[in-house]
Amino acid sequence: MANHKDEIKHPFNLTHQASEATRMLRSITDDFPDNPEAMNYFYDLYKKVYCEGVSLHENKKIVGTMCVQVPEELIYASGAVPVRLCNGFYTDDHNGADFMPAKSCSLVKATLGMLDSKSTLPFINRLDDIVLPATCDQKRKAGSMIADMGYSVYDMEVPPVKESEEARIYWRRSIRKFAGELKQITGKKLSKSSLKEAMAKISRAQKAYRKLYELRKQKNSVILGKDVFMVTNAYFFDEIESWTEAVNRLNVELEKRVEEKYSAAQRRAPRLLFTGSPAIFPNLKIPMLIEESGGVIVGDETCSSNRMLYDMVSSDEWHLNAMVDGIADNYLKPCTCPIFTKNDDRKRKLLHMAKEFAAEGVVYQSFSGCQVYSMEQASITKALNDEDIPVLFIESDYSPDDMGQLSTRIEAFIESLKAKRRRNRK
Amino acid sequence: MIKNIRKKINNGDLRRFRFWLQIFFFLLFVYGGYLSINLGQNIPTFACGFNSEGQGATCYLIPLQHQLALSSSTLFSMAGIAVLIGFSYFVLWFLVLNKGWCGYACPLGTIQDWITSLRSRLGIPYASYTWEQFKHLKKIKYILLVLMVVIPMGIGAGFFSHDMSTPFCMICPGRTLIPIFTGDFSQLTIDFSSKTKMILTTLGMLITGIFLAGSFFKKRFFCFFCPMSALHFMLSKLAFLKLKKDGSKCTKCGDCYTVCDMQIKEIADDVESKNILQDDCIMCLKCVSACPEEGALEVKFMGIPVFEATVEGYIKRMEKENKNG
Repeated sequence: MANHKDEIKHPFNLTHQASEATRMLRSITDDFPDNPEAMNYFYDLYKKVYCEGVSLHENKKIVGTMCVQVPEELIYASGAVPVRLCNGFYTDDHNGADFMPAKSCSLVKATLGMLDSKSTLPFINRLDDIVLPATCDQKRKAGSMIADMGYSVYDMEVPPVKESEEARIYWRRSIRKFAGELKQITGKKLSKSSLKEAMAKISRAQKAYRKLYELRKQKNSVILGKDVFMVTNAYFFDEIESWTEAVNRLNVELEKRVEEKYSAAQRRAPRLLFTGSPAIFPNLKIPMLIEESGGVIVGDETCSSNRMLYDMVSSDEWHLNAMVDGIADNYLKPCTCPIFTKNDDRKRKLLHMAKEFAAEGVVYQSFSGCQVYSMEQASITKALNDEDIPVLFIESDYSPDDMGQLSTRIEAFIESLKAKRRRNRK
Repeated sequence: MIKNIRKKINNGDLRRFRFWLQIFFFLLFVYGGYLSINLGQNIPTFACGFNSEGQGATCYLIPLQHQLALSSSTLFSMAGIAVLIGFSYFVLWFLVLNKGWCGYACPLGTIQDWITSLRSRLGIPYASYTWEQFKHLKKIKYILLVLMVVIPMGIGAGFFSHDMSTPFCMICPGRTLIPIFTGDFSQLTIDFSSKTKMILTTLGMLITGIFLAGSFFKKRFFCFFCPMSALHFMLSKLAFLKLKKDGSKCTKCGDCYTVCDMQIKEIADDVESKNILQDDCIMCLKCVSACPEEGALEVKFMGIPVFEATVEGYIKRMEKENKNG
């Protein structure tokens, strides 16, 4: 099957995926006025990778990762490059339907579709390994299917409970085992200096991200959420150092905007947080609908963005095992993924963010078929409502069919926030 | 103005500050005597009194054990008031720094930190306890505290011989090691004058050996067992210096736990308690300096914030760390 597909492969820019990417990219750049100059780096990057098929990371080993729990420090330290494979293409979602039941998560199907068709990411043929943390059921079961497509897949064990000491020990062992696996792939053993260097590389990126995060707290929103999603999403596959530089450039420009009191959204645009299933290019339809309807996304709590970049690792002494353990803890303990038994951390995080960002409402996206996010919905909504923060719960997938219906709901939600604000003023 | 000072402190290099402050206290307590410094005998840290020439103050555990060994009739008469006054001085001293006495002032703690830095420089990784071991080991300091009260009182009541006086000092590695710094090796001997003394001093030598080996591999090895630490904890709620946590700002990232010498899990996992000080805490404040969440951990003196976790400070310290290391 794979061979057959290889034979009829179109030139990259003529694939369905490329045209899907082109359409979305055009809408991201053209539907909004005054995009920050520094965003052009990111727009061009997406264009190069998804529309023109320009490959990245030449002469480097590439390790594909399937969830946010994979410690990228270890991959960089082993001399390879991590590329997050979670995919947002509707075309691939369609192709992936062959593998999963009809009512499963678009993200998993799209990732399977991409890996099967081998035509979405230009360097997909060069994956040396795919690391699949045993997170939700669908990701877990995808592993053997991906292996059947001819990829080398490494199942990384994740504890289902994260509070207990047993979980910590189990996870630390799982991470050490993963370090061993990386050695098999790259032939390079982890060393203190290479790991320290990798940690510094990632922490520079996180520092840039944190700056961007702080800038979004401004009363005048200096950047739209759709652009921040483009930035963080680029972290999935971009060369990390140039990504960091580009974010720093963006931050400088945004600081200027702060001084000029420039507002990227309408001045009274309701400030929203985005949570739940991740917005991954080109499936940015909900963030786009929100911002086209006059809201502005000021923060998010998703694994394609804030959850991936926020928490920084530190180490007391620079010994290999201590560093690896510290990294391990950092990828498990603060993780607010709904696969874990409890979600108190996620509630706390959202409440804190709502306060920090002066958010007036929360949009909660759950992909149809994403059981865990749907199951957490009620309790998260309640926790937020108790603090007088309204929540719009949206169940959706990658298909564009529900756009009309969604835009009506989103507009109504935004109007209701405006009305609430007027009421409160009186 | 105040804002700027605060920012400076929050961005400061705690490691260096602590290193020098520890040296200051070490000099004060171990060599202060040569400059005729005497801060009294109610000091809530191991300013060892067996270091007779150099001591700039005396560890409260010495007078406490002596006083408790007074004959019961004396102890429960007017002389008891003197004991209470001594205790009050101890409490007053303690209230100022809380357990910061352990992390900044204790000479025995400082010695352990020096041993730790030697180990680290040699590139040898540190050991840690498993959670199971930790749970059991942390009880020992309370047992020692009880014995330290019961044995002297037993002497006073005539149950034990006077050879058992200051029983904790006999086994304390501070007694054997701190006088060495003023050239006095006399405590590094076994006293054969009586059977009890022989047993106690042998135990003391043994514990000194364990102390040296233990603190080489385990950070702050002895502090888990320290009865002074147990005594501190009972009073810590009253202290002026406080370690506060705002759980709503905590992401449980665990950076504080990673740097904690005492393996205190609550610092990362407990998001309910406001007063986060645990019995093993030595208030070294490394957790605060390793916390990347604005205001999640905070040190307050009588309600006034003195040192607070900030993103900026965290990043500054981390960059510095990355350059050196």
